[in-house]
Amino acid sequence: MSFLSKVIAWFADPANWQGSDGIPTRLVEHIELSAEAVAIGAVIALPIGIVLGHYGRFGNAAINLSNVGRAVPSFAILVVAFQAFGLGNLPIIVALTALAIPPMLTNSYVALNEVDPDIKEAARGMGYRDFAQLLRVELPQAVPLLMAGIRTSAVQVVATATLAAEIAGGGLGRFIVDGYAQQIYTEVFGGAVLVALLALATEVSLSGVQKLLVPRGLRLQKAPAAQRATTFKTA
Amino acid sequence: MNWKLRSAYLAASIAVAVAIGACGSTSTPAAKGNITIGGFAFSEGSVLAELYGQALQHDGYTVTFKLNLGSREVVAPAIKSGQIDMYVGYAATDLEFYNSGAGEASGDPIATTAKLNTHLQSLGLVALTPSNTVDQNAFAVTKATAAKYSLTKLSDLAPVASQFVLGAGPECKTRPFCLPGLQNTYGLHFKDFKTLDTDGPLTRAAFKNGSIQIGLVFSSDADLNQLGLVVLQDDKHLEAADNVVPILRQAVATDEAKTVLNSISSKLTTKDLVQMNSQVELLHQDADAVTLAWLQQHNFSS
Repeated sequence: MSFLSKVIAWFADPANWQGSDGIPTRLVEHIELSAEAVAIGAVIALPIGIVLGHYGRFGNAAINLSNVGRAVPSFAILVVAFQAFGLGNLPIIVALTALAIPPMLTNSYVALNEVDPDIKEAARGMGYRDFAQLLRVELPQAVPLLMAGIRTSAVQVVATATLAAEIAGGGLGRFIVDGYAQQIYTEVFGGAVLVALLALATEVSLSGVQKLLVPRGLRLQKAPAAQRATTFKTA
Repeated sequence: MNWKLRSAYLAASIAVAVAIGACGSTSTPAAKGNITIGGFAFSEGSVLAELYGQALQHDGYTVTFKLNLGSREVVAPAIKSGQIDMYVGYAATDLEFYNSGAGEASGDPIATTAKLNTHLQSLGLVALTPSNTVDQNAFAVTKATAAKYSLTKLSDLAPVASQFVLGAGPECKTRPFCLPGLQNTYGLHFKDFKTLDTDGPLTRAAFKNGSIQIGLVFSSDADLNQLGLVVLQDDKHLEAADNVVPILRQAVATDEAKTVLNSISSKLTTKDLVQMNSQVELLHQDADAVTLAWLQQHNFSS
């Protein structure tokens, strides 16, 4: 039996789809871990990035801090957090949140900073005050870059959440770690394929969310000329 | 400087040179060849690999250590393919590994090793004389759990097993002296099996935070009492003769190597091994320093 056919057999085996060790359980655990980390990261990174970008201050500091954060290896954070907090989900959430913050922080700062100053001035002229301007004019303009940051974060976190298995956690990393420990490479490969598919699915679904959130005006700006002409009334 | 000082310096440096030369010459005659020794991924595995390896080193062999390789699933293919030349195994568990769980192991170390050699022969490997030092699988619970459910032996688990989570390394699910043995010999069916490490920090952390109620440890572990763990007695004799036994590739099993290794095996006792384990696990000393001290104590080094 070739290696690939063994992997297909592994996926086809119903025993691998049930129980606390089965693919659905591990998939749900993995999604829960990733979602939690990205959510906490967003709560921390987005407000900071948005506020700094809106006022255009401390941008370099924020971006440099972000880059330093990206350089710290998640595995190292995980081990240190394990020493501090013991077993459980806390160490992996700490490591994954540290991974999730930099892309969202950098992108939200740049997104808000790069909003066309003419638009901001026009809004000011129309009477928008600070917070309302931020909310109703700048944020919608910033959606594409913001969502790009969130997407990057989410995909990275999904791919790295396999580390949870190193400290007896759950998730799809279990197949990789356990298979490797027992030298069952079909299981390792199966786990890797599942993680890759999940990362792809995350990217595609968040792209869908982005399409929904981009304001109509921005979407139309990029539309071909013929469509644009008929959508806006002239005179 | 005057001639008195200069001649004093000269005499001192000659003395030092002679001393270094003398030490050097007594410990290494002509090199006897290379041996690569592999170790399991738990602290006792490193201790035993260092012990036998350093003995060979002091006898003149050039020894390469490959410690913390993993479980037998990693070590056995490594020795079969020649990537390592020897490892220190345990007679009964190794027998049941190489005979695919056929159930040939018994409580007799000599008979068990003899059967092991019948399986190793065709693989180009050989097991030497087993030591009297024993390290078997042991199953521990916290003192609180033992008190709550009145547990002293494994049979006592029968009524409560369905409420307990068992924690061990991933290979425990397929080892006859681990999960299958508990199921078949004792009729225990646990609530769940949690994959941790083989008697390592994850297992100890899991006991501490209550995610497992029973876990696999080793009978020669030194830190169980300090951690508040108590081993349940193996009253139905599930565990067999897991005597320490070096396993070598036949190519490196020269008479001289075998003599050195067998003399270590005959001098080593379970008490010594537990003592060395406690120095590594509790006092956090390095395995190679601990084994060197044992060798010097037993006159194996210069």
